Amino acid sequence: MLSANPRSTLSLGGRSLHAMLVPIPFVCFVATLVTDIVYWQTATMLWADMSAWLLLVGLIVSLFAAPAGLIDFFGDARIRQLRAAWIHGIGNVTALILSIFNCLIHTRDAYTSVVPSGLILSALVVAILLVTGWNGWALVYRHGVGVRQTGQQ
Amino acid sequence: MKFARLEAVANGLLLALVGCGPAPIDPSRQVGPNPYLPPIHQYLLPPMHVAKVVGWNGATPTVAAGLKVQAFASGLANPRSLYVLPNGDVLVVETGNPPGPVSRPKELVMNWVEKMAHSRTKPGQRILLFRDTHGDGVPDQETVFIDHLNAPFGVVLVGNDLYVANTDAVVRYPYTTGQTRITDAGVKLCDLPGGPIDHHWTKSLTASPDGSELYAGVGSNSNITENGIQAEVGRASIWQIDRATGAHREYATGLRNPNGLQFEPQTHTLWAVINERDELGPDLVPDYLTSVRDGAFYGWPYSYYGQHIDPRVQPQRPDLVAKAIAPDYALSSHVAPLGLVFSSGTNLPVHYRAGAFVGEHGSWNRAVLNGYKVVYIPFVDGRPSGPPEDVVTGFLIDGDKARGRPVGLAVDGKGGLLIADDTGNSVWRVSAASP
Repeated sequence: MLSANPRSTLSLGGRSLHAMLVPIPFVCFVATLVTDIVYWQTATMLWADMSAWLLLVGLIVSLFAAPAGLIDFFGDARIRQLRAAWIHGIGNVTALILSIFNCLIHTRDAYTSVVPSGLILSALVVAILLVTGWNGWALVYRHGVGVRQTGQQ
Repeated sequence: MKFARLEAVANGLLLALVGCGPAPIDPSRQVGPNPYLPPIHQYLLPPMHVAKVVGWNGATPTVAAGLKVQAFASGLANPRSLYVLPNGDVLVVETGNPPGPVSRPKELVMNWVEKMAHSRTKPGQRILLFRDTHGDGVPDQETVFIDHLNAPFGVVLVGNDLYVANTDAVVRYPYTTGQTRITDAGVKLCDLPGGPIDHHWTKSLTASPDGSELYAGVGSNSNITENGIQAEVGRASIWQIDRATGAHREYATGLRNPNGLQFEPQTHTLWAVINERDELGPDLVPDYLTSVRDGAFYGWPYSYYGQHIDPRVQPQRPDLVAKAIAPDYALSSHVAPLGLVFSSGTNLPVHYRAGAFVGEHGSWNRAVLNGYKVVYIPFVDGRPSGPPEDVVTGFLIDGDKARGRPVGLAVDGKGGLLIADDTGNSVWRVSAASP
């Protein structure tokens, strides 16, 4: 018998691995926008260097967070029926691809590693993440994806 | 205004995603006084085309007609520069500098690329002395002349004072003719900008014809200010150092990585070869050979070849760009010239006796490799007068494997051209095929 809530296929001790990992790239990419803006305003290389590290860490953790999310997505048909899951998934994959390009842009030397292409990509990624984050939270807090049923059954 | 430019670059970005950059042009369009300078192309993924090091395995370089080549020394540990003492003894500087601190992820990759492009032998930190007692051009005695140096490169003798440019200081040693080993600790004449970053670490050294001044080449601390402009104090310049007091001033600036400092014998003008900036495309910016004018500014980092602005440098300095001068003679892009010697003292065929030899270490960031050879540039009245000619080649085989890479050059006591080969761990001697 299936539980009423959509299940997280890849979980550790009943906790969705994707939900545990996905905040890390999210925070890294938001912070990249912040350090990009500070670099744009100050031309102090420290901030551009910070952006490069944040992007790299965000991408590395995404290598685990994204497949974990896909496994959950394909692991339970009820998740695939949720519009929020599609928006969350497609949006995050787009943000990930843009961040790969952004990481390459950030390997340039000095000013053009950030301004303007890097800065534009960082801002675009954060805009996408606001939408995918909103929908991702809906998956858990409104649709109960991966949430264990307690008592009521 | 800023955002109009943002839009233009966003469009450029889309283009960059589809293509991987322009095809390299023929380097012959970029030699001489007026090189073709294509539009800037900033990569999404810079080409890292490093020649695989395969070694010589008994082979020798190829020389132009009328010349012959022989191994002068082999089995060395990263020989990079050469100096010939008045009695004909040849000094070979074994040297290297450890990679600097990693400030961003790219440097992890760059350090690896650098490692792949060089010999696996751990560099020596010393100067060896080679002596030819038989007079056949090949040395039969070898001693460790000075040991335990710190990434040495430039050497010059003035009277009985022998100066060595370590990466962080010029040190003076007492020398008497015929000496084969110096054990004296030496006296520091002058500090030079060294670590901890020390991006371009080779400090070339020469003396003014009257011996009163020394000139030291101090390369930039980055490709294009990515370590911060504060890391560039005193760098990308040629220092004039007073031999008596050790006081210095910047003789010429804006020279990204000046090496091969030499006085042209006819006009007594200082010349140098300069490694220009990377990552603006396969054909930017051409490296060059130039006379060095007192007080002149050659552009780095703000501009190149006069007033061509580099968009990677902010804040810009229009006041400096306005006075930036173009160099004398382009050598084409990414050839990495590290050695220069004027040929008037050679015993080579007459054709080669009125110009300069340049050692081109070779490219690492260009899809089609460039350099990896020694060229001859004819001079008339102290100025370059024609296109460069290949003199010593064969460092590359199959287009992408390196047997060796030429660096420092010198003319020995018998008029032969000596070539330090840091990747082949050898020194080659080129002489006339028939005396």
